[in-house]
Amino acid sequence: MRAFVAFIPLVVAALAGACDPTQSNAVASLGDEAPGVRRGPLHRPGQPCLLCHDGTLGNPPAFSVAGTVYANPAPDTSPASGVDVVLTDANGATHTATTNAAGNFYVSPSEFQPAYPMRVKLQAGNGNPVCMFTHVGRDGSCAGCHTEPAGPRSPGHVALAPKAFDCSEQP
Amino acid sequence: MNRSILALFSSAGVIALACSTPSDPRVRADVPDRASFEYVAPVLVHRCGTLDCHGTPARNLRLYGAEGQRFAPSDVPKPKHEVTEEEASEDYASIVGLEPEVLSAVVADKGASPERLTLVRKARGAENHKGGALVRAGDDSDICVTSWLAGATDVAACQRGVKR
Repeated sequence: MRAFVAFIPLVVAALAGACDPTQSNAVASLGDEAPGVRRGPLHRPGQPCLLCHDGTLGNPPAFSVAGTVYANPAPDTSPASGVDVVLTDANGATHTATTNAAGNFYVSPSEFQPAYPMRVKLQAGNGNPVCMFTHVGRDGSCAGCHTEPAGPRSPGHVALAPKAFDCSEQP
Repeated sequence: MNRSILALFSSAGVIALACSTPSDPRVRADVPDRASFEYVAPVLVHRCGTLDCHGTPARNLRLYGAEGQRFAPSDVPKPKHEVTEEEASEDYASIVGLEPEVLSAVVADKGASPERLTLVRKARGAENHKGGALVRAGDDSDICVTSWLAGATDVAACQRGVKR
């Protein structure tokens, strides 16, 4: 009986999370899965991963940082695979994730939970690294800001080229 | 007769009190200097104005600048410490509107105890802040903002602060 009572707040919290209309509407706006792509590491490139991968219900699994790297700016949507995404948090802790065939990378909270602000560097092979000019302040989803089309509130999707600046210019 | 005169003066006194302007701090507020804010705005945008933080219109403190959201519809974020005149005006309006009474008191006290402002406490990480501690008390960015609040903007500190 006691175990059952202790379980009630967890159920209520889970239901409350599941009934968040703002979150539900944001997820719905992402649309369906692309034809022929199953749910998994290759799905939904360029979308804000943590919108669903927030760990609210345990499935899908939680991510702390995740995103997609493209080879070039839009309209080219060629993924950049095998790119090391080096994350450095406010305490100097670093974690490296590598992009897959879809250009996606993802980090679980058990692997790395950054203290913000966080810096991001991309390393493709032996080439010169590409650094994000600003820090990440609080959103672990790259596509929370890097959306298409580019405009007053978005620099466009994350791309390796053309390099706007190199890492020596990073503040 | 004496009673009539006394009643007349009493009535005049009551009317004078009733019609006087109450001492309302909202009537006049001391605000920090707008002109020197042009040196402060790039620091605030650099530290606080990323697109996932205060570079978004939904925030009470919402900042515009090249490192975050842009004010002009034709502009896009870019890797420069640039804040247009129009953006600086918007940023200034946002800052002075956050806690006007507290800001007025800090400015009137020539910048003494700036930690009275939530802006300063959050930036220093002295109060719960999702974005963490972005400045340290006494570093260039902190000096830039607090000197501005004191009415003596340290331009050199602002210029150094934006590069770190």
